[in-house]
Amino acid sequence: MREQFPILQREVNGYPLVYFDNAATTQKPQVVIDAMNDYYTNSNANVHRAVHTLAGEATDGYEACRTTLKDRFNAPKVIITGGTTEAINLVAHAWGKANLSPGDAVVLTEMEHHSDIVPWQMLAKELDIELRYVPVQQDFTLDMEIFEASLDGAKLVCVVHISNVLGVCNPVDKIISLAKQNGARVLLDAAQSVPHQSIDFQKMGADFMAFSAHKMCGPTGIGALLVSDDAFEQMQPFMGGGDMIETVSIHGSTYQTNEHKFEAGTPKIAEAIGWNAALEWMEQIDLDSEHSRLLELARWLSQQLRDMGMTVYGRHDDDDAAVVSFLHPTMNSEDLAHLLDARGFAVRTGHHCAQPLLERLKITGTVRASLYFYNSKEEVENFVKQLSDILERFS
Amino acid sequence: MSEMITLTELIEEFQDVDDKMERLEMVFELSEEVDFLETEHWNELTRVRGCQSEAHVVVSIENDLVKLKAGADSKLVQGLMGILTIALRGISPSEALELTPDFASEMGVLNSLSPSRSNGFRNMFDKVMNEIQNKM
Repeated sequence: MREQFPILQREVNGYPLVYFDNAATTQKPQVVIDAMNDYYTNSNANVHRAVHTLAGEATDGYEACRTTLKDRFNAPKVIITGGTTEAINLVAHAWGKANLSPGDAVVLTEMEHHSDIVPWQMLAKELDIELRYVPVQQDFTLDMEIFEASLDGAKLVCVVHISNVLGVCNPVDKIISLAKQNGARVLLDAAQSVPHQSIDFQKMGADFMAFSAHKMCGPTGIGALLVSDDAFEQMQPFMGGGDMIETVSIHGSTYQTNEHKFEAGTPKIAEAIGWNAALEWMEQIDLDSEHSRLLELARWLSQQLRDMGMTVYGRHDDDDAAVVSFLHPTMNSEDLAHLLDARGFAVRTGHHCAQPLLERLKITGTVRASLYFYNSKEEVENFVKQLSDILERFS
Repeated sequence: MSEMITLTELIEEFQDVDDKMERLEMVFELSEEVDFLETEHWNELTRVRGCQSEAHVVVSIENDLVKLKAGADSKLVQGLMGILTIALRGISPSEALELTPDFASEMGVLNSLSPSRSNGFRNMFDKVMNEIQNKM
């Protein structure tokens, strides 16, 4: 597989690149690069309106991405967005403003990415709604008792499927079931789960599901919001402009009734074509067996890190992702990441856009190694060896 | 590195090293050059803004010489402070104000760091220069 990713052939600081920052973004196989290149080389045109051949090819390419997403996730409505963040903001503006009133409650968790906190804080200020945060416990799980208690009167539950810091997979079936029993809609931040799991959106029962292409071998700048039919009916247009209208006169406008209503302006055409290529490429991946392989590597790595005196933040249960966040007792995490980079390893440091979670864990950041399909056992073993050498030399 | 290395010598030493790990090791070692500002003296006035790490500096002028006390929670950042300490060693405030942060680029040390760390160094340099200016 690795030979399909041209970037993995390069060296960094004189060493073969070992890319362990997959929770931030994944690398792209040649087929994705080729698909986008081919669009710009041969089919570049705007979508939907013109009748010429290029416009037809561009429209087919763009809409093929939507069709693939609908099929892959069994989703009735797929709004193409700029990514997970834009998708969540779209729910806040298009659904939230039309359906939330002063005093209504929205339930969030301390495990959320900033993208699933800040839009709701902004909306809370504007609409005078209440935000309730479900705490994270010492074992890195959500406090489900407090979650259940927080549902009383709640109109919406926003929850991250898999934590980008901990790799912990939340019990979303139970969360959705409890939320539905209490009449609340559910928004799932699936940015970290979609790259690793097969998900049946309608079977799962959430109302909204947001994720990004670039975390699953697709291009940056594009993502999707899956929406249930009845939640879709409650959404009002958020951004006005071309493509989202049916008619416009100086007296007013009427809007499209399908997903285009929420895709104003020229959309991400090349990115959609690239994402579609990535989704088709992923069809050859056995997600379950890859998940097991990567999780085993994460468990082994975690144990090695603990043996070296590190603190590992995560548990790596069967449904969790292969994300390993850790801290050395004395060495600054950014210093460590710089030293690892000198040996070709790309890891992430910092607060990972999840400051409330880190505050709960009483830390300000971690070093994070996150694995994906193209990472090998040899790379993980080499990481441990190089890390050990670095600690011997510098700590 | 010798105890009283000059800035020119330091630039040459860095320019002779190609391996990034070795360069970083040299920066780590330069953290020892810093007259350490104890953490109990860290406050909002001493903080270097725009630095991802906790980085603090205090500038004083004694006998027409610039004195720098500094501290950080990162050895690499403290190593950068060590480089600045060497740059300011034995010079008057007016000589210090003629310095530009280009010496760090000449050393190639900023190339070995992330953009945020490089910006942090420039912020630290600017803060030190502003404090020297204010104390003149």
